[in-house]
Amino acid sequence: MEEAAKTLKEYQEHIDEALNDKFLRKTLDKFAVEYRVSRDNVFKEVPGADCVQKIADTKDWCSKHLEELYEQFKTEAEKRGVIVHRAKTAKEANEIVVKIANENAVKSVVKAKSMTAEETMLNVKLIQEKFEVVETDLGEWIIQLRDEGPSHMVMPAIHLSRYQVADDFTKVTGDAYNPEDIPQLVKVARVQLRKKFNHADLGISGANFCIAENGTFGIATNEGNGRMVTTIPKTHIAIAGLDKLVPKLEDALNVLTVLPRNATGQRLTANVTWINGAGECEIGKDGKKNLHIIFLDNGRTEIAKDPLFSQIFRCVRCGACANVCPVYRMVGGHKMGHIYIGAIGLILTYFFHGRDKAAILSQNCIGCEACKDICSGGIDLPELIREVRTRCHDEFGTPVKEVLAGKILKDRKRFHTFLKFVRFSQKPMADNEGFIRHLPDILFSRHKFKSLPALAPKAFREMWTDLKYTLESPTMRVALFSGCVQDFVYPEQLEAFIKVMKHHNVQVDFPEEQNCCGLPMFMMNQNDVAKEIAEDNLKAMSAANYDAIITLCASCASHLKHGYHTILGDAANAFIEKTTDFSSFMVDKLGVTSELLNKSGEKVTFHSPCHQCRGLGVVEQPHALIDMAAEYVPCAEEQVCCGFGGSYSSKFPEISSQILANKVRNIKETGASRLVTDCPGCIIQIRGGVHKAGLNVKVSHIAELLAENLKP
Amino acid sequence: MTDSEIVELYKNKAEAVACKIVEYKTIEEAIPYIIKVVEEKAPCELLDDEDVEKGPLSPNGVPTRIQPVLAAPHCDEAFYKKFSEACEAKGYKCISKGLRNYLAGIDVGIASAVLGIAETGSCMVDTSKEDIRLSTMICEVSILVLKKSTIKPTLISVAEDLRSHIGASSASYTTFISGPSRTADIERVGAIGVHGSLEMHIILLEG
Ligand code: SF4
Ligand code: SF4
Repeated sequence: MEEAAKTLKEYQEHIDEALNDKFLRKTLDKFAVEYRVSRDNVFKEVPGADCVQKIADTKDWCSKHLEELYEQFKTEAEKRGVIVHRAKTAKEANEIVVKIANENAVKSVVKAKSMTAEETMLNVKLIQEKFEVVETDLGEWIIQLRDEGPSHMVMPAIHLSRYQVADDFTKVTGDAYNPEDIPQLVKVARVQLRKKFNHADLGISGANFCIAENGTFGIATNEGNGRMVTTIPKTHIAIAGLDKLVPKLEDALNVLTVLPRNATGQRLTANVTWINGAGECEIGKDGKKNLHIIFLDNGRTEIAKDPLFSQIFRCVRCGACANVCPVYRMVGGHKMGHIYIGAIGLILTYFFHGRDKAAILSQNCIGCEACKDICSGGIDLPELIREVRTRCHDEFGTPVKEVLAGKILKDRKRFHTFLKFVRFSQKPMADNEGFIRHLPDILFSRHKFKSLPALAPKAFREMWTDLKYTLESPTMRVALFSGCVQDFVYPEQLEAFIKVMKHHNVQVDFPEEQNCCGLPMFMMNQNDVAKEIAEDNLKAMSAANYDAIITLCASCASHLKHGYHTILGDAANAFIEKTTDFSSFMVDKLGVTSELLNKSGEKVTFHSPCHQCRGLGVVEQPHALIDMAAEYVPCAEEQVCCGFGGSYSSKFPEISSQILANKVRNIKETGASRLVTDCPGCIIQIRGGVHKAGLNVKVSHIAELLAENLKP
Repeated sequence: MTDSEIVELYKNKAEAVACKIVEYKTIEEAIPYIIKVVEEKAPCELLDDEDVEKGPLSPNGVPTRIQPVLAAPHCDEAFYKKFSEACEAKGYKCISKGLRNYLAGIDVGIASAVLGIAETGSCMVDTSKEDIRLSTMICEVSILVLKKSTIKPTLISVAEDLRSHIGASSASYTTFISGPSRTADIERVGAIGVHGSLEMHIILLEG
């Protein structure tokens, strides 16, 4: 198996390799699009949100009652002749398996798919001990033939092409296969593995749920190998993490309602097996199965006690967090987790496989929240990933560059002086379209994929004295939170906002003591700095004086609303309640209609910023606004991240640029002549991408579209 | 949902997972259908050694059975009598036990479902008896018999039945079966028939 990268540079090299794997890219792209469709189709047939909430509630309860559940399961299972083991570590679990195998004179072992056995690297141990081990799940068998690890939790061989598979099979059987005939390739497994089942001495499986009330465990499989492995050999060992314990059958059925739908868009797997007690086995001693279950701890009891990370217990291993992850889509599973893959993989790698492996991996998250949105257990995955980074930082120290950035940002005046200096020094490099043409190579050597914007000649805060106005009897009084990007790079977007507000009889104030929202520092895990900034802003914005605090940056909005609560707790509630993004303010609070707007014939499409659609749950409002001022054309994958992610795009520019390329392709396909969005970060990214691709599409803020179409 | 809506939903979802559904009043009336399934299917592949007369190699390069084998373990006695007579008349071998002797593969396995689940198109089958379990696993065609009145609307609604079923004996093995075995492990292309059944037929009975 591939070794985990030790340095960021080494990791970037691994990533470049993946990005150049054309087959992988094509497969994962196709999968990302098709998965969404099939998943949404079957998900809407069930009360999905309720089921997810139930999984979260049940598993939260389980993490607090782990020992009781374990004891109950053990008592019930032992009553029915099952031998229950508990392993503290991965090593211990493997040793228990070896001991059982030796006691039963086992020579050959058949395995059904088990992520827990992958976690303990059981195969390595069994092979060392000279057992014959065969993986019987088709995908697992293929990667076993190649001596690789899984690249997806549910589809372990998704990274391989039919040609590679056909070649691997030829190596095993000596026969040639037609790679175009996938059904025939599947039959190779049927033909090759039946004898293995029939003559194995030991079957090893995982378990999806272990039900305490009656000591039953359940396994969900598609290929029929799960039932073979648990039926034909006379000894069966199931390996399960302690997190698989649930109180009742209903809990398992609830998980089953979500898991296959979320995993692969199936309503249910072809087989679900409920094993209760050591049952009939003709060749077993006294006609009974020799049945063992090993519960693996490997840090789980500690995780269960952690106030934040106990959420991990809600994971049902559906793999959906990889399916929707824009980073996974670009680089595949082997670059996104040591054994567990995707968002949860970044987290579990830290707990199960060590901090050194996680320190680098955990940086490869763009923070788009797609994983959180789809998770079967409603886990706040991006927040946990951020916290893993914090812990790695605490252990390894914060990089110097980031400490420096923190120092500058914390002090508003110093930050603004710094920006003015940058503006001055970039002058000769900005062209008349406002892009920096020649990037200073030293600063941006990995950043050339898109044109970067230049700082505006005059910041919004410098324009404010001239823009200020006073209305006689305004409908509402609001405060503008500008955010750094619009203040210093795109002040014209705020100017447009002021124009729209004035036209709608809304009085705007711009509290000048406001600073950056602090999100960049929060994402860089400089939590102290982020907290100081948040406190300053709370004071500066004096929420009590306004009907609303508006920001035209979705990232700021989401951070002001959710991040501030994480950082400051309930003390931020009054502020949070008043804070809103532009589109929801216009539609929900102000209730604008087309009365004051001209509907132009311009074809306009939309990009839904991550921090708006998932961060704030705002989806329809921008569509409605566009429709009042232009002809709205929907864009495919509207809610998929544009690849910006703040500092992410400079840390992993190659991934970011590939994500952007997909976005630009989808925009092109709409045929629209303009794209609007509600976040200046996305505008930097998309405008740059469109410019580089030579596409004739105007990219602007939704406020600018409205400002241009006000009725006189 | 009314009863007939539940049945319709069941049929719809079971067909979506490649089940073939036929309806009869009684299981005896379905015997000619089962015989026809055998007549129309390709010879059973022998995936392991077995001391039996062998036919030509299958397209997968495997020897085949000449005499079809059908298994109907632990079923209704009256039915089995008629069924085995029908098989005999055709020269098929009909067995009701000892399936471990046929691990190389059998043509058809017949089992009764305890209940159906409409939402997912599944059958819950009591496979505690090893022969029943094997008959639904090593057969090329799996035939499940399901009474319409036993179909429940959702997964979650079978909890009590599953519980009492599990608790009824000191050890049990229960299976939810939803269609023939399948995989999408090679390039995510769906393919039917991996280690388990290649085909699934559901005989829906009145009552
Ligand atoms: S937040 Fe986005 S980028 Fe990060 S792991 Fe989740 S889906 Fe992937
Ligand atoms: S974290 Fe959530 S989405 Fe990811 S595998 Fe676990 S349950 Fe599925």
